[in-house]
Amino acid sequence: MSSNRLSRPVFAFAMIGALAACGETANDAAAPEAVEIASEDASIIEVRQGNFEEIGDAFKAIRGQLEAGAPDFGVIEASAGTINANAQRIQDHFPEGTGVDSGADTEALESIWEKPEEFATAAQKLVDTSAALAAAAGTGDMAAVGEGVKNMGGSCKACHDNFRLDKD
Amino acid sequence: MLRQKTPIWDWPVRLSHWGFALLVPAMWWTAENGEMGWHMRLGLVLLALVLFRILWGLVGSETARFNSFLRSPWAGLQDLFGRYKRSPLAIGHSPSGGWSVAALLLVMLAQASMGLFAGDPYDGATGPLNSLVGVMTADWLTDWHETGFWVLVALIALHLLAVFGYQFLGKRNLIGPMITGAAKFDKPVAGNAGGSTFRALMCLALAGGVATAIGTGLVAHWLSG
Repeated sequence: MSSNRLSRPVFAFAMIGALAACGETANDAAAPEAVEIASEDASIIEVRQGNFEEIGDAFKAIRGQLEAGAPDFGVIEASAGTINANAQRIQDHFPEGTGVDSGADTEALESIWEKPEEFATAAQKLVDTSAALAAAAGTGDMAAVGEGVKNMGGSCKACHDNFRLDKD
Repeated sequence: MLRQKTPIWDWPVRLSHWGFALLVPAMWWTAENGEMGWHMRLGLVLLALVLFRILWGLVGSETARFNSFLRSPWAGLQDLFGRYKRSPLAIGHSPSGGWSVAALLLVMLAQASMGLFAGDPYDGATGPLNSLVGVMTADWLTDWHETGFWVLVALIALHLLAVFGYQFLGKRNLIGPMITGAAKFDKPVAGNAGGSTFRALMCLALAGGVATAIGTGLVAHWLSG
């Protein structure tokens, strides 16, 4: 779920006079952060979030096919291929100093840099499971595709559990 | 000249009104800052409050009830363009104000309801009824949940424009009565007889019960069989 599509000024305008206190909190939280981080780091954060968004959308497309009565294995294979290509870029998207402690708008936990081998393994797992899913989709074997989706979803979740901030 | 203090808005109306005024910005802030845990908790409170206001619109006091303030759309349009003849001593929502209330409640209800299904289990928070729908439906509802917010913002902007228009151009204070529940008139005016406290508490219990059943996962459990 992306969270930065709503712009503050428009809303602030609409809320003038109604709730000054809430507006202040929103501005206070935003103002000091965003500027501290170097601009190349800010742009790599955008690149990696875009990369993950594409992975998420492709995974949705795959699950959408599985929910349909007769899944289109071509769509599943292509989407798994997209995920595989994007997954290979993940490790290049996390330069040191671009985690939550930098104050940037990111959910990347510092554990990514504290346990680099584990993070590398977790990212590689998505590369491997997406490749396996693409292969399974290529054969059109429904049971193998189901298993492949489960494994790939598991690799998403495992990595999120260890390396992504969860504020629920 | 007598300045009669006349009751207009009962406490359930005021409670829900100011609850909305606090919760809607809080819903925006929590979503914007990724505080999805709070977004969902407050969303359930907002859902309960909207349900409460809708129930109270059926069984509440005179000015709270839909059948007292929902006029024809034609009357609403006339009112909007200042062509609706209304006694200066009339209390409660004007025809266009009534439509504004209905629209605000409907959009808030839609927003809260869509939020229940929103999200993706592989990507952050999911609403308590997310598991009842497919991934594509949830994705579609999530998009509309984000778009619907701007519809709500537009309605709130209109609402505030009207209230401040009355305040500064029409020289009529609508904000005070929404806080105190009463307004002063130069002439005796038939005020709003307060609704039944028992009924209000029943509405509150019912609305809160529904939101709790959803929030605790009971509803998802029942419906998934």
